[in-house]
Amino acid sequence: MVSTQRVSMKTALLTDRERTLERIYAKAYPLVRHYVREHGGTDDDAKDVFQEALITFYEKAVFDQLTLTSSVSTYLMGIGKNLWRQELAKRSLQASLPETEELVEEPDVDPDQPTVALMTFVEQLGETCQSILVSFYYFGQRLEQIATQHGYRSVRSATVQKFKCLERLRKAVSHLSIEQLKS
Amino acid sequence: MRPELEEIQRLEEYLAGALPEEQQLDVAVRLLWDQELQRKLAGQKLAYKILRLFGRRKLRTELETIHVRLFG
Repeated sequence: MVSTQRVSMKTALLTDRERTLERIYAKAYPLVRHYVREHGGTDDDAKDVFQEALITFYEKAVFDQLTLTSSVSTYLMGIGKNLWRQELAKRSLQASLPETEELVEEPDVDPDQPTVALMTFVEQLGETCQSILVSFYYFGQRLEQIATQHGYRSVRSATVQKFKCLERLRKAVSHLSIEQLKS
Repeated sequence: MRPELEEIQRLEEYLAGALPEEQQLDVAVRLLWDQELQRKLAGQKLAYKILRLFGRRKLRTELETIHVRLFG
């Protein structure tokens, strides 16, 4: 069953991401913050949890794997609660282990390092390629929209440009193995 | 579109399972023996993964801006 709410939410996210996300943020964040505060977290914790939930929501909404049976706020609250429970479990495990300091510091530094290095491959493509590829492959925008935004005369030219950019990225990363991403 | 770009497009559609059945099979068979194509496919998968990471990071920055504007 295709719900109208889902279709229009997806359209809203694709055509006006900033304002749509801001509307959702204004409404749902206070609920998640309230929950996290009530369960031993700070405002910063709440922010992390909420943003993670919103990212998950965006990806699912745009790539069509989401059937909302309730409001967006309720959905985000559900993910938020789960994430916060997991975080609390992780923290209590760390607290119960010896040499806490080392264990706490590690996850902050290590997993980020390879990611940062990989980001530079995209950055090196330049502004236009970066924007076309990320708009299409991450933000799920249509090529029609991308063509208009970047001043291409046709969808066809935008498509060709997209594959040229992808070719450059593929070439840049071809010496890496897929294993390097599994951190 | 030049042949190299057409190949990239075909691999993209192959990964999405979007090619007509016969072509889908054709690529799968070629991948069995064509190491060059295997390498290209691996590189392309990696590129998609990196774009996902990059996109996520960009979205996180956008949310951070919204946060500051609304609650900061």
